[in-house]
Amino acid sequence: MTVLGPNESILDPREAALGTEGLVRRFGEVTAVDDVTLAVPSGELRAVIGPNGAGKTTLFNVVTGLLSPTAGRVWFEGTDVTDAPQYERPHAGLARSFQSNELFTEESVLENVRVVVQTAEYGPFGLDLFRDAASVGRERAVEILDRVGLDAAHDTLAKNLPHGDQRRLGIAMALATDPDVLLLDEPTSGMSPGATTKTAALVEDIHDSLGLTVLLIEHDMDVVLSISDRVTVLDQGRAIATGPPEEIRTDDDVQEAYLGGIREEL
Amino acid sequence: MSALSRYRVPVGLLVLVVALRPVVAHQWLLGFGQIATSMLIWMLFVAAFNLLFGFTGLLSFGHAMFFGFGMYGVAIAVARLDLPFVVGAVVGVAFAAAFGNLLGRLIVEKGEIYFAMLTLAVGEAVYFVVNRNPLGLTGGSNGISQNALPPWVETFRGQKSVVLPFAEVEWYWVVAVVFLLCMLALWQLLRSPFGRSLVAVRENEGLARAMGMNVDRYKIASFTASGALASIAGVLLEINTQGASIETFGVLTSGDAVLMAVLGGVNYFFGPVAGVFVWQFTAEYLSSFRMLNLPTTELALVSVDVSGVLQHWRFLLGALFVAVVLLSPKDGVWGALRDGVRVAAARFREVRR
Amino acid sequence: MNGNDPSFAREATDAVRGRLGSLTPAAWALLVISLAVLAFAFAVRPGLFVDNAIGGLVYGMILVMIALGLSLILGLMGVVNFAHGALFMLGAYFAYQVVGAMGLSFWAALVVAPVAVGAVGLAMEVTVLRRIYDQDPIIGLLATFGLTLMVQEAVRAVWGAAPLGFDVPRALQGGTDLGVTTVGTFRIFTVLVATVAVVAVYLLISRTDFGLTVRAGVQDDEMTEFLGVDLPLRFTAMFCLGAAIAGLGGVLRAAESGLGTGMGQTFVILAFVVVVVGGVGSLFGSVVSGILIGEATFMTPVVLTALSAATGVAAFDVSGIQGLVPYLVMITVLLVRPRGLFGEEGLME
Ligand SMILES: Nc1ncnc2c1ncn2[C@@H]1O[C@H](COP(=O)(O)OP(=O)(O)O)[C@@H](O)[C@H]1O
Ligand SMILES: [Mg+2]
Repeated sequence: MTVLGPNESILDPREAALGTEGLVRRFGEVTAVDDVTLAVPSGELRAVIGPNGAGKTTLFNVVTGLLSPTAGRVWFEGTDVTDAPQYERPHAGLARSFQSNELFTEESVLENVRVVVQTAEYGPFGLDLFRDAASVGRERAVEILDRVGLDAAHDTLAKNLPHGDQRRLGIAMALATDPDVLLLDEPTSGMSPGATTKTAALVEDIHDSLGLTVLLIEHDMDVVLSISDRVTVLDQGRAIATGPPEEIRTDDDVQEAYLGGIREEL
Repeated sequence: MSALSRYRVPVGLLVLVVALRPVVAHQWLLGFGQIATSMLIWMLFVAAFNLLFGFTGLLSFGHAMFFGFGMYGVAIAVARLDLPFVVGAVVGVAFAAAFGNLLGRLIVEKGEIYFAMLTLAVGEAVYFVVNRNPLGLTGGSNGISQNALPPWVETFRGQKSVVLPFAEVEWYWVVAVVFLLCMLALWQLLRSPFGRSLVAVRENEGLARAMGMNVDRYKIASFTASGALASIAGVLLEINTQGASIETFGVLTSGDAVLMAVLGGVNYFFGPVAGVFVWQFTAEYLSSFRMLNLPTTELALVSVDVSGVLQHWRFLLGALFVAVVLLSPKDGVWGALRDGVRVAAARFREVRR
Repeated sequence: MNGNDPSFAREATDAVRGRLGSLTPAAWALLVISLAVLAFAFAVRPGLFVDNAIGGLVYGMILVMIALGLSLILGLMGVVNFAHGALFMLGAYFAYQVVGAMGLSFWAALVVAPVAVGAVGLAMEVTVLRRIYDQDPIIGLLATFGLTLMVQEAVRAVWGAAPLGFDVPRALQGGTDLGVTTVGTFRIFTVLVATVAVVAVYLLISRTDFGLTVRAGVQDDEMTEFLGVDLPLRFTAMFCLGAAIAGLGGVLRAAESGLGTGMGQTFVILAFVVVVVGGVGSLFGSVVSGILIGEATFMTPVVLTALSAATGVAAFDVSGIQGLVPYLVMITVLLVRPRGLFGEEGLME
């Protein structure tokens, strides 16, 4: 495999598990995502890297429908989902976690995950008034919490969890939607080296044993090198290169983007 | 989970309706029990309001309109159109639900601040329309007070009772039964999957959406249910006050619902109950209070005329409200009570050890 | 907090150009029909027409004076200040105190009352508002609602619940003959004072260092403070300014229409309507929509009466539609332009 330049891909975005075509998102004068074409094949663990402000989170936001694109299309498993409402995407199999700890803060850890399992079960709107929700989706929620290592914290309020556990709870909730493609926005941010390794292993485990396609925004290069299949580099909103981690590391353009940026700052 | 803690709410509600009247009627408290009936009605109204605010995160500043729809539905049917009570009640509640639903569709997606301002404005517009006495139905600023009771309600020396085919039942117990049924329905709604989704929307709307919830539909459904429930309280209020009055539609009524809910504690099922109790009890207690006798009434060493100050108790309540909002806006009286009990229980356990 | 930019001159021209450019044929037709109907109403009863047009302008300017402060505080600090109506009412009662109770001149009241309201605003800001700038906007709405209760009860305690009134100086009592009708001098005075106040706020925010630093603080408070600007002080000043203008509005309103304990509540709701119609975050929108709603409120009955007289259809003559007009305008605007006339995307959402 070799490193692909901007917007070249080995696959038609329309046939990928997740694809974008010429995706653009502007905020006033700022172009946060600039003509990005991606094609992530089914089953791949794709890392998305780039300096702060490169547009990684905005890319996730547009792909998952939190923001609408200024131009371009988003393809999910062969369908154009660009105009689909955000809340429909998890039900189609496209889920995400957030860079900041977004939680149902006043609820227990178990309830945080359970209510998502319940949502996956009922669809975007469920008007079941007669059951006791405590039993709906509980088993699966417990199972997922076991997987992410939060089995001892079921009854803790989400807001009282330590930061690292909150990050993991975010992953658990994304998993609870039962996704095919999972977008993780800096799952290890703010974690100690030990916790980072543990979380990286968790991501790898999710990818390997559940067979999910994973897009991972990650700053820790050791994590990127050790677990990703391929890497896409964003710089100033543009996808400047895509390729296997080792080759990306030695690629001239990438070096220029990163080091050049640092040189300018100095 | 033990059965008792699982059914804490139903048991608590039962205790409430049984104990409320004797408690307020106790000579140390108010000395008369009539207010208990209107307390239950207001508790239902504020609980309905709090389904929307406390459990969905939407602040309605126009909830009085739903209260009024139920009330005027009955009053118009009975006093103006000679229709059976049931028709008026059903039409009033259905109208409230439909109005809530349509209004919700129009304004729910605009965010919580818009929602508060728009419900306030629409409530004011509704007040205005009712006040114009359209088609001679609403009686304008006089409201409806003649022949406004259904035939099966009897009034004897200010005490109402309901004549059923097999027995005559005190009005309080009729209200208590309706209150219990509605509050149990609300409790079930809140513990159902639907109710848990509402709480998720309240906790973090953006996350709920990202996890696949159609947040707007949940909000509209909550607004609809809340409006319908509030209008049932309005139906009861019509009989309780023997007619319909325009003040029910007023901004002050909507504002009172907000005040009572926040004072009681919006995050708790029993918050509105506590809020209404504290509010109405204080109002009644203080306005019948003229002289402050210290240390006791029988053995007064110092007597202070406090009527001048207490007349303006709403000022103090306003100050208390601001303090609650600034210090712990979601806990209120009920939250403080729970914390108090928890701390006391912890102490007690320590002492025993 | 949102990074809106109340730079009026630019906003105004851009907004108007944008609006006119994007008018659909249907909207054009509506505009033409409205103008025709207005012209017709003028032809039927010119005196009444002009009377109400001026009445609508006066009413609209009062609304603008309240909505301006509301919009300012909402746009800059992200707080919906429910107590703004109470401040308006206090302006009226302070003026009554000066003129009616103490027998001083109205000119004194015109200065003293707004300053005193500004002082009350200062007290509110320092004790309550300052604590809620960073919080959920709902908290601000609730807290200021509590403040409203306190002010209302205080007013009732001091001045009683009965309606009151006071006289204006002789110089403002007469009228000017316009041929078809006579315009009260005080109405002209109200419009003039209100215009001066509104333009002054405009200039203050868009042209002075003070306005610039406050707006910079809204965009990035840490950076602005780092540059040595005392932001809390400026926010306080801003709040006082909004309060004082509402107070001034109260003085003018009370001098013409008398005062009562319900006026604060009535007007704050109307001011909310004005802000929603104008578009949250746009001061320019608040000004336009205030005048629009004032005029619509006063002109609708005139037009309907004229139509019913001409067509003989009594149904047109809906008595008392007046009070409902602001809400009808609001609902129409929300259906057609959900963000309000000049609202920007994503504000307060
Ligand atoms: N909601 C927004 N409004 C305005 N600008 C934004 C918004 N979100 C992101 N941006 C801008 O877009 C650029 C990309 O941001 P982001 O996607 O968060 O980068 P990354 O996640 O790679 O650090 C930045 O310049 C940021 O300031
Ligand atoms: Mg990011």
